[in-house]
Amino acid sequence: MDIGTLVAGLLTLAVLSFLYRDNPVYKMAESLLIGVSIGYFLVVTWESTLMDTMFEPLFAGDDFWLLLPLLLGLLMFARFGRRVAWLAKIPIGFLIGSGAGVAIPAMLYARTIKQMSATVVPLTTSSGWPDISGIVVLVGVITTITYFYFSREHEGVLGRSAKIGTYFLMVFFGATFGFTVMSRMSTFIGRMEFLLTDFLGLMY
Amino acid sequence: MKRLEPRHWIFVGLFVAIGCTMLLKIPLEIPITDQTQKMYDYIESLPEGSPLIISFDHEASSLPEIKPIALSILRHAFRKGHKLIGVALYAEGTLIGYRLMQETAAEYDREYGRDYAYLGFRPQYIAAILSMGESLEQTFPQDYLGNDFQDIEMLRTIGNYDDVAGVISIADGSLTTHWIEYGGGRYDVRILAGVTAAMVTTYDPYVASGQLNALVAGLRGAAEYEKLIDREGGGNRGMLAQSTAHLYVIVLIIIGNVAYFRSRRKGRG
Repeated sequence: MDIGTLVAGLLTLAVLSFLYRDNPVYKMAESLLIGVSIGYFLVVTWESTLMDTMFEPLFAGDDFWLLLPLLLGLLMFARFGRRVAWLAKIPIGFLIGSGAGVAIPAMLYARTIKQMSATVVPLTTSSGWPDISGIVVLVGVITTITYFYFSREHEGVLGRSAKIGTYFLMVFFGATFGFTVMSRMSTFIGRMEFLLTDFLGLMY
Repeated sequence: MKRLEPRHWIFVGLFVAIGCTMLLKIPLEIPITDQTQKMYDYIESLPEGSPLIISFDHEASSLPEIKPIALSILRHAFRKGHKLIGVALYAEGTLIGYRLMQETAAEYDREYGRDYAYLGFRPQYIAAILSMGESLEQTFPQDYLGNDFQDIEMLRTIGNYDDVAGVISIADGSLTTHWIEYGGGRYDVRILAGVTAAMVTTYDPYVASGQLNALVAGLRGAAEYEKLIDREGGGNRGMLAQSTAHLYVIVLIIIGNVAYFRSRRKGRG
């Protein structure tokens, strides 16, 4: 067994020990995970962001326009000084403005217009029979939206529609919960497979 | 020694159920779902040598579920002789993506630089997706190994999304949504995805609207794909254990509900 498999196996068991109770071995594994993740993230970000796209081209004299984002980035640290804290508003304003400018049209198109157009489907099949899936989509969209309509009290037709909407929401929550259980089980199965094959050698 | 509580027995039961079924190694018959078939058909339908971007948009914690999906898609694409360009939009997925590409490329004698390239990580995923739409070379002047973009043979003909057949996002979170919104919405590039099961309900509306062209989901999706490419892997091996675990959870939910209603009736009495 190589050292990597041994360390991975022992750390997996250390994390699983939390299922019995909180303990120092679990805490050590948890702290190690956080430390290694942050360390790895910092190294990758330093290498692939600051070095690759900022300092190397700048020191090579390729692109002096890079001084502008560098300056904006440095202004973020102005928050630490009381007198110059206002300077940090410049890069923050730039981030919010450009972020919103980029995101709003893209999200309106992808999440609203395209999704709305996908609900406009024929309610009958080509042979003239009702298309159950189309009807379910239509009823689901309308009733769920009425549930989130808060400008009037949920009474009468609106109340009944909102009530049906809650059933659609419950189906969604149930499906999401089921898939999440499936996902967590898959992760656990993956670790069990590792323990039984690579670590313990009980399975090949 | 602390006395074992009911939850401990539940965990012990799960360990025993999964451990035993994994040791049994009984293969399950898995029907192929439409979405997995769509991914397979798309990769199969492309002419040999078509460039595809594989984006590793996940962290290390989801590897047990993500790895079988990624391996089966990579194996299929390499077997078909497609040119693969690997990128990572999460820092943690960077090395994992490189290793997975290396491992599968070696199985099919694919050569780095000629058949596949790995460009590595770029932060600010929205900016990275938009930037790749303008120029891949500007976004990644060098690859993960430090080679200049123009020195990599297979990348010389790649300018932006117009020169690739699609983007396959291997994700454990909502990053595929950004591929759909910015890559698909703005640059009209075809988006396909392999995701963890927990994300299925997030992406189903995009599948229904046609914004996401194919979705391979979870260990089950991986098992289906392994069946399609006729190559057994982690997905297939885990299916019996997963089915047993699901039955176990269903039984626990029924027992919990029966106990709840009985205690409520007793309380009323």
